[in-house]
Amino acid sequence: MNHHVSRCLLFATLLLAGLPAVFAAEAKLMIAMMPKSKGNAYFISCKHGADRAAKELGFELLFDGPTDSNAAKQNEIVENWITLGVDVITVAAENKQGISTALRKAQKQGIKVITFDADALPDARSFFVNQATPQGIASGLMDEAARLCGAEGEFAIISATLTAGNQREWLKYIDERLAEKYPKMKLVAVRPCDDLKDKAQSEATALMSANPRLKLLMAICSPGVPGAAEAVKQAGKTGQVKVIGLGLPSENRRYVHEGVTDSVMLWKTEDLGYLTIYAAAAVARDELKPGATSFKAGSLGTFEIKGDNILLGQPFIFNRSNIDQFDF
Amino acid sequence: MNRYFREISVTVALGLVLLVMAACAPSFYQAQPLLSLITREAPTLVVMCGMALIIISRQIDISVGSQFSVCSIGAGLLAARGWPLVAVLPAAMMMGAGLGAFNGWLIAGLRLPSIVVTLATMVMLRQGLNLLQQGAFVNLPDNVQWFGLSQTTGQWTLVGTALSLLLGCGFFMRHVAAGRWVYAVGTDAEAARLAGIRPQWVTFLVFVFVGALTGLAATMNLVQSPQIQPLVGSGLELKVIAAVVVGGVAISGGRGNVWGAFAGLLLLACVSPALTHLHVEAYWEKAIQGMIILLAVVADGLRQRGLKGGHG
Repeated sequence: MNHHVSRCLLFATLLLAGLPAVFAAEAKLMIAMMPKSKGNAYFISCKHGADRAAKELGFELLFDGPTDSNAAKQNEIVENWITLGVDVITVAAENKQGISTALRKAQKQGIKVITFDADALPDARSFFVNQATPQGIASGLMDEAARLCGAEGEFAIISATLTAGNQREWLKYIDERLAEKYPKMKLVAVRPCDDLKDKAQSEATALMSANPRLKLLMAICSPGVPGAAEAVKQAGKTGQVKVIGLGLPSENRRYVHEGVTDSVMLWKTEDLGYLTIYAAAAVARDELKPGATSFKAGSLGTFEIKGDNILLGQPFIFNRSNIDQFDF
Repeated sequence: MNRYFREISVTVALGLVLLVMAACAPSFYQAQPLLSLITREAPTLVVMCGMALIIISRQIDISVGSQFSVCSIGAGLLAARGWPLVAVLPAAMMMGAGLGAFNGWLIAGLRLPSIVVTLATMVMLRQGLNLLQQGAFVNLPDNVQWFGLSQTTGQWTLVGTALSLLLGCGFFMRHVAAGRWVYAVGTDAEAARLAGIRPQWVTFLVFVFVGALTGLAATMNLVQSPQIQPLVGSGLELKVIAAVVVGGVAISGGRGNVWGAFAGLLLLACVSPALTHLHVEAYWEKAIQGMIILLAVVADGLRQRGLKGGHG
């Protein structure tokens, strides 16, 4: 009896294990897309663009990722996708080194890998869809900060986590820009907010009381900007401590109109998702190969490719004059 | 060793940190920023009271962070539809109590282990929320923030509410029979049953209670800003469990009180702003919090060995 049961179980297991492979062979191409954290409005906006592209191309899109910014969880999901046998994996890497081993394994299994938003190591993917070069973002933010502060005084940065690859890179270039062009400005602290608006608010509150001469708070993760703005507002320091950062217009509209937040920088996130899926499809069909210098992505037109980076273009500055024209 | 050794040592540690701050960085004690920081911790304190009860009853609930998110977004959506706060608050508490009752039914009714049940509900609730809300912030009407009162009045109201709840829980756990039942169940459920207590009911009600408190806490957080992020409350479960353990509540149940947990919460919450004021790099924050938790656990371990060796 027991023997019989275990044979049945074995059979069922084999059947279940085989099923995805059978389906994958018959179904349309499957593109998997992983954000750093899927509850983040920034990535949801990417997903809207990705959905549109997948629909236009007739691909199936799997969208999954950690609920919080969790590098280990990202590896797990990649492993699952390898087992599932997807055709292309697109990833916004939380940790550059951490994810690369899993991605190389996927490549060995014949799965194409593209990164977007935050890159992995170059040998672990074929292209990186670069929303803006780190230099472009860092100097854009630093120049805006300097403009608002009259190129002198103290400022502080609120980041997502201290380990996130793209955050570290932006910080590096912000430091470089600072040293090179704005010797009278001083970066007094960098504090992580774990992608939580409420924690960003607490951090900003402490930063302001610990640094009474602080002139500006710069948040380089999207929940950080409204968090810092709320702190400034509660401290009654509107106008005295300026707020800028990378963020979505919809999350900052209120504070921009109230004059708490001066400007918010971002690329058009929907376009980033859209371009990523177009690139993924082209790589899967062998239409986009190393060495290409430009790439046409559906209704968005042609994009420049620099080395193995597909460039989305210059970041965009939202402020009181134009923020109401954007609804993402 | 003194019965309240753990509570006293945490309070002393907290006192030391506050003294160091007074000596090295007096700017830490500016009224407005300090009140803002304390107000931000008020909802955490409310959830912590519930968690203390759960752990004393020898259970755990790691879904409180997700419950908090669900209640926050639920309450936020109701408020955005124009519900007045007097209606939003009971609705949020009912929502929380419902979620707690579900956990409690699985744990007390079906006798499933609480860590697995609440792990499952934690993930379920969080993912369900992501699916529904897609990460979008909920914007609240203007009269929600600070109940439509002035900022300072609103902040004191929240801090006052949290502190009264702490007082209430402290009194309940020490002087009310039902509070003693929680200790009895956490110490030895079988002995409690023989003494005429119904352990399964106590466990169930404790989960319902923590759910309702989480709903209250979510509303207390809601009124602090004009918009709510769906990720709100992620990591809250770890924060309150850490506070409770640091505060001398035994993870094996039956021992500890909300006062110790309160000191533990303050100690852990101090770390981040203290480091900012001392201009220490943020890398140290989690390392120091980890060290505090480890110290607490080691102290518990030594104490248990001391009890066995010394009086056994």
